Amino acid sequence: MSTIELQNLTKAFDKLIAVNNVSLKVEENEVLCLLGPSGCGKTTTLRMVAGLEVATSGDILIGNNNVNNLDTRDRNLAMAFQFYALYPSLSVAENLANPLHAENLSDEQIKKKIFEVADILQLKDIINRKPHQLAEGEKQRVAVGRAIIRDPQCFLFDEPLSRLDVQLREQMRGQIKEVLSDLKKATVIVTHDQLEALTMATKIAVMRDGLIEQISSPHDIFAKPNNTFVAGFIGTPQMNILDCKIIEINSSIMKINILGQEVKIDFKTPLDVNTNDSYFIGIRPRSFEIVDNNESDNFSGTIDLIENMGSEILVHIKINESTFRAVLSRSHRLNIGNTINLKPKEGQVHLFNKDGKVIRDE
Amino acid sequence: MKKKAIGQAGWLWTGLASIVAFIYFFPVLFIILTAFRSRSDTLATPPKWFFTPTFENFYHIFFRAMANSTEYVATGFHVYFFNSIYISGMSVLLALLIGTLAAYGFSRHPLRGNDTYLFIILTTRMLPPIIVIVPIFLIFRITGLAGTYTGIILMYTAFNLPFSIWMMKSFFDELNTEIEDASRMDGASERSVFFGVCIPQVKAGLAATSVFALILTWNEFLFSLLLTNKLTRTMPPAMARTIGGEINVDYGLLAAMICLFIIPIFLITYLLQNQLLRGVTFGTIKK
Repeated sequence: MSTIELQNLTKAFDKLIAVNNVSLKVEENEVLCLLGPSGCGKTTTLRMVAGLEVATSGDILIGNNNVNNLDTRDRNLAMAFQFYALYPSLSVAENLANPLHAENLSDEQIKKKIFEVADILQLKDIINRKPHQLAEGEKQRVAVGRAIIRDPQCFLFDEPLSRLDVQLREQMRGQIKEVLSDLKKATVIVTHDQLEALTMATKIAVMRDGLIEQISSPHDIFAKPNNTFVAGFIGTPQMNILDCKIIEINSSIMKINILGQEVKIDFKTPLDVNTNDSYFIGIRPRSFEIVDNNESDNFSGTIDLIENMGSEILVHIKINESTFRAVLSRSHRLNIGNTINLKPKEGQVHLFNKDGKVIRDE
Repeated sequence: MKKKAIGQAGWLWTGLASIVAFIYFFPVLFIILTAFRSRSDTLATPPKWFFTPTFENFYHIFFRAMANSTEYVATGFHVYFFNSIYISGMSVLLALLIGTLAAYGFSRHPLRGNDTYLFIILTTRMLPPIIVIVPIFLIFRITGLAGTYTGIILMYTAFNLPFSIWMMKSFFDELNTEIEDASRMDGASERSVFFGVCIPQVKAGLAATSVFALILTWNEFLFSLLLTNKLTRTMPPAMARTIGGEINVDYGLLAAMICLFIIPIFLITYLLQNQLLRGVTFGTIKK
């Protein structure tokens, strides 16, 4: 069975704890993205799964077998590396064939497999070239090809698209997703690019400082962040996270003091909060709509800066010396210095306590 | 001055470079010419630039008339020549073998306090050899290594090791370790990672290290003078004996010996030239 399970996995380099008590499970046919800023321990976690790094404590189970004491080559995994790691002196075909040498296949079988993979990844024209004669995108495809040519238990990808330009990245994202969905194996992808994670993963684990902050589906990670870090890390432009104070609670509707303005927000369900306590409120820049009059359910501020984003504009709004940002349609003719009224969209407002943990009625 | 295309130095600079090159090469040229001069031509002042070349000196290296005799006797000089090749070859090979393995260890499996060990290794090379020669000489006397091939080969191996380790370590450090990890994923054992993945990538480093070590060993004088005997002596002290001891110095004979002496090292350096250039410039892997 193709599954990967980590139980209380920890890795310490001298005093630095790179991975701290990580537990997660990747089921068959599931693609898990380890997402986080650089240095958060995501690559170390992946390398421990691969057996390239020895865990300080904790267990790694692949297909329900504990592989803690198995060498890399005995774990039956395939991995694509960030810098592609192609053998510089071997041609594309030989690079692809290399993982097969350990499998005792006949030359005919090896050839057949190479052609299959070359067909899937469109490598036929470059099959005899050496790595230094390849473009970045081609190298990347060879690296993926080398990972999928064998029939391993699980797949690991370390920042597979980080070295490609934007266009190529978009194209390869689709291609890898397609290949992975055909393979039906447990897959772990490490990335710092949230778009990559949101598009390719069936499950995302957001990491920070060696800890897993949240594991959820891509939609839930975006729509229901567990804490201010995940809320701020996922989504561009970044979520506005503002100080607030609750003035009045009337079942699910609360009157909240945000940046000195009192705004009525309907949270749909009653939340476990107290009046006069301070909290953080999180509203994504895309969760605002412009309204004509300043009512009790909206903000009023002056436009400080307008950034062009193509079909939309990113507006920086100043209220009492603090700014927050909203993405609005270009059709509103806005100018710097104008006063606008913004209403947060219903159900898209998040409340966090002062420790950063979300307050939500599950 | 006319603007030169980038990538061309032009005749002026080429000419200047050739003058400097000639100055560098002049001593070697002078020795080569001297080797082909007859005894009287050698001693002429000012030096004779045009003369009838003779192979007399080369013949005299191997066969010479002893004092008060007209009969030519074999001098046994070929033994020293063989010794030089055998001793340098073996010690460079050994130093390269041990040095490469050690360097790989230092680079990939660092000890606690790795840099301290690397530093200690180098300290033996911080002193001039003359300072360590007395204890070494005593050790050789006690262990019976003095005058043996094993002794001098071990001495030179130890002498070359620090340099080999440092140099090879820098080559291993340059490699992209992802490629090694990839081959582990592909099912390679640690041994095949080393021999199949790392060694092919540091070929240039092996060439550069062996040439530099070979040049050092080939020209080494002091250890050979004190730690070898008549049978195991290498070329440099053997040549020195030609200068001293006799009534007057036969410069032609000495020059001929030097000519023979530089041929092997010249050939090897020439053959490995391309590797050597790549070796000292590094950057074989684009990171």
